Amino acid sequence: MKFQAIDQFAANLKPSTQAAVYDGSKKGYDARTKTLFDHFEDPNRLRVVAGEIKQHVVENLDTYLPQVEAKLQANGVIVHWAATAEAANQAVLDIMRARNAKKMVKSKTMVSEETELGHFLEKNGVECVETDLGEFIIQIDGDHPSHLVKPIIHKNRRDIAVSFEKHGLGAYNDDPQTITQRARVHLRKKYLEADVALTGANFISAESGRLVLVTNEGNSRFCLAAAKTHIAMVGIEKILPRDRDLALLLNLLARSATGQQLTVYTEFITGPKSAAQPDGPEEMHVIFVDNGRTDVLASECREILRCIRCGACLNVCPVYRQASGHAYRSVYPGPVGAVLTPLLAGKNFPAFADLPKASSLCGACNEVCPVNIPIPDLLLRLRDKGKQAHVPSPGMPPMGPWALLASQPTVWKAALVGGKIINHLPTKLLPIPALRAWENKRSLPEWKGGDFRKWMKGRARPLGAPNVSRGGPSGPALPGNIL
Amino acid sequence: MSADREAILSRVRGALAPLHQRASLPDWDNELIHMRTLRGDVDAWTLFQARMKLVNGLPLEGAPALVAWLVQNNWTHGYCDPLLWPRLQSAFPAGFTVETTFDRTRVDDYQFGITRAAGAVAETGTLIFTDAATSSRLAALTPWAHIAVLDRAQIHLDLQHAVTQLADDPNIIFCTGPSKTADVEGILIEGVHGPGQQVALLLE
Amino acid sequence: MLNQDRPRPTGKRVQLMATCLCDAFYDDVARATVEVLEYLGCTVEFPESQTCCGQPAFNGGDWDASRKVVRHTVQTFAGDAPVVVPSGSCAAMMFHGAILEFEKEPDLADVKALGHRTWELGDFIVNGLGITTWPGRYDAVVAFHRSCHSRGSKSGEAATALLSSIAGTTLVPFGEAEQCCGFGGTFSVTFPNISGAMGDLKLDHIRKANPSVLVSGDMSCMMHLGGLSEKEGKPIKTQHFVQVLRDALKNGNLL
Repeated sequence: MKFQAIDQFAANLKPSTQAAVYDGSKKGYDARTKTLFDHFEDPNRLRVVAGEIKQHVVENLDTYLPQVEAKLQANGVIVHWAATAEAANQAVLDIMRARNAKKMVKSKTMVSEETELGHFLEKNGVECVETDLGEFIIQIDGDHPSHLVKPIIHKNRRDIAVSFEKHGLGAYNDDPQTITQRARVHLRKKYLEADVALTGANFISAESGRLVLVTNEGNSRFCLAAAKTHIAMVGIEKILPRDRDLALLLNLLARSATGQQLTVYTEFITGPKSAAQPDGPEEMHVIFVDNGRTDVLASECREILRCIRCGACLNVCPVYRQASGHAYRSVYPGPVGAVLTPLLAGKNFPAFADLPKASSLCGACNEVCPVNIPIPDLLLRLRDKGKQAHVPSPGMPPMGPWALLASQPTVWKAALVGGKIINHLPTKLLPIPALRAWENKRSLPEWKGGDFRKWMKGRARPLGAPNVSRGGPSGPALPGNIL
Repeated sequence: MSADREAILSRVRGALAPLHQRASLPDWDNELIHMRTLRGDVDAWTLFQARMKLVNGLPLEGAPALVAWLVQNNWTHGYCDPLLWPRLQSAFPAGFTVETTFDRTRVDDYQFGITRAAGAVAETGTLIFTDAATSSRLAALTPWAHIAVLDRAQIHLDLQHAVTQLADDPNIIFCTGPSKTADVEGILIEGVHGPGQQVALLLE
Repeated sequence: MLNQDRPRPTGKRVQLMATCLCDAFYDDVARATVEVLEYLGCTVEFPESQTCCGQPAFNGGDWDASRKVVRHTVQTFAGDAPVVVPSGSCAAMMFHGAILEFEKEPDLADVKALGHRTWELGDFIVNGLGITTWPGRYDAVVAFHRSCHSRGSKSGEAATALLSSIAGTTLVPFGEAEQCCGFGGTFSVTFPNISGAMGDLKLDHIRKANPSVLVSGDMSCMMHLGGLSEKEGKPIKTQHFVQVLRDALKNGNLL
């Protein structure tokens, strides 16, 4: 049997990795549920309103983008625009070269993963150090993150201890406290030597031009306390209309991601350091990155641009839990990735058309999404798009013949009765892929086609005739029965 | 690069052109994010202390309490904002080395850093730092213990309040407890790149 | 997402959409549906030319094929009586999925009209007909599995309200109830490894609760979980909740 790529990946996944991913995801889901429901009267209402706010921004980006740009410039920030990943990377390099900067410390930002900034800079002679602990470990391993918020959810302490030893960070020691201490000591030097700090932005307020950075470790604070130049790479969709909307979204973000009320550090940055402050950037740049977002905006799935990258959908997704993030072959895994990745791929859509199929459409992702993105609907639209682009789908039973059957009642009824033969056939030997895939793991129930209809015919009365079965109008009155 | 700007904005306009209507901005009431179990009639400092302890922060009152805690941990070399030092100096015995300038070439010399908070948020146990109030960003961040000096009057009751009264300052930090990570197997470890101990010191 | 306010039924006539699964495999569920609705005073019409709601092709991405079948369904269920269906997923197809795939079609209004009068069975009994308790007797420890397609609708609540009101019936909770069973339509055969793993997880949780029967409002989930459990040699008894309602009446000599 030929399996879909993600299904195959799940089948081949090391049990210890699968267990780590499952446990980490479940912890995140449980923590989210607890804090949201303990703290708020109506947590679902928060998600709905936040979703409306973000949808409003998405549908009015033509107004908000110039507005935010003007505000940033008035605050003393230098604004750049990058239509592609290449342009974004080049913009960063140009800024660094203009300042003769050779060393960068990087706070976690998914956009920079999209553009593969780190590799680009290294190729061009710039040292680029990831400072988020999980991303740092990914970097030294040459690995890829497998979750939006918890990049090494797929690794255990032994994996990390081995990596640290391999990269000269000390003899094998898998105590989490020691691992963290070692990273702290190693990275402190890097921050203090860096010329440039690169961050993303979780939100930008159109009202004040404030960038908001949400972290726990203190790495972005350190980046912005040590380096002389700050560059922020920001997707064009990260805008919020008003400062007060930040209160709503901040209340949702950390709770949805990790079950925290707030992350340890929420930074509101409007520009370079103040004149009297000895530490921090003297210059601040914002690079607005498109890299396919305008394609998403033009599609019928633009709601996905509401995403605030909390990872709640990953945590609850039963498919993500079984397959792990790497199964999605992209920067964005899980339910959000299954929509965003194929769309951001533009002309390369067919290469990722299988992602939206890796879902039972259970809807749990929409239920936990802090901005109420109707992910299952978007997955369905992408399945339609895939069919129209003639992307083949391994294992999918052919729907054309089925539709013919299901629109011709006489043939359908005959097939129902004729199908009884299946009860007597060695179904395992039939060359029907769908049947084999089913029976590989499950038994098939007995075929009873035609039996109900026969019974119903025997029972039927002419329409409009009084119902004479035992429980009808002459029978006992049921409490609350309004008929 | 301005070509990119035009390209992006024109693609945005083109993408949105077919929409007959644009989604409107909803109005929302502060009641929506009112946290239910937290209030009653406690004063802000009492609420702040309770919430800060929940995130493993340490609220203290008065310089003597701070000194006792530093002595207990055997942390005797640190930094203090020169504007604060006159208010604290008398509580510090001999044996302490407290510098009032921060030397970034010797970051590991400082076991603690004392700077001013610009405010606080009671319902989350959050301290607020700004460039204006923080004499050195590095001093507030790099020592293992950070002590933020707070005034009762600076405490906001809730997040909504704090966010709509953000100062005109280029770098405002809402700090909720010591720095932490759960990247290694989801196990909570405190003291990553930022302080492993976060103190709020109420000075009257 | 799926919550839809339907107009309250004003008469006793209903049309039954039996579902293709019941047509092929679960005739007793369709029978029990008729018996229960008639007990409640309804006249049940079964339009014989019905086939399927069109969901398999819709989920599979072949919307042309799906629309063909939906159009046939719209024709079949012409009229204005409520259409009652013993399946959360087929009902959701009618009032949500079909509308999505007909967004740009000229006959969208017809599809909407049908969706607007389609009720999942439990929702119909409790919120359409106003039944709050169920008579008769059914001695069992019941684990109730709420299907994913009834997320956001009133169907799960409706079924559990009825079940928990039956004399002799105890409902037992089980872990990770919000997680999907793994059926997902064609997902079960296109992603069989993940589908099977999801089902095994759910069976683990259910078994820990030690029920005597697993009950749901969707036979698709039951076919998957029942099939998994049978294949591994530890078959678990599965029932549609309407079979429980019918059996309760029979046990109470009311049918």
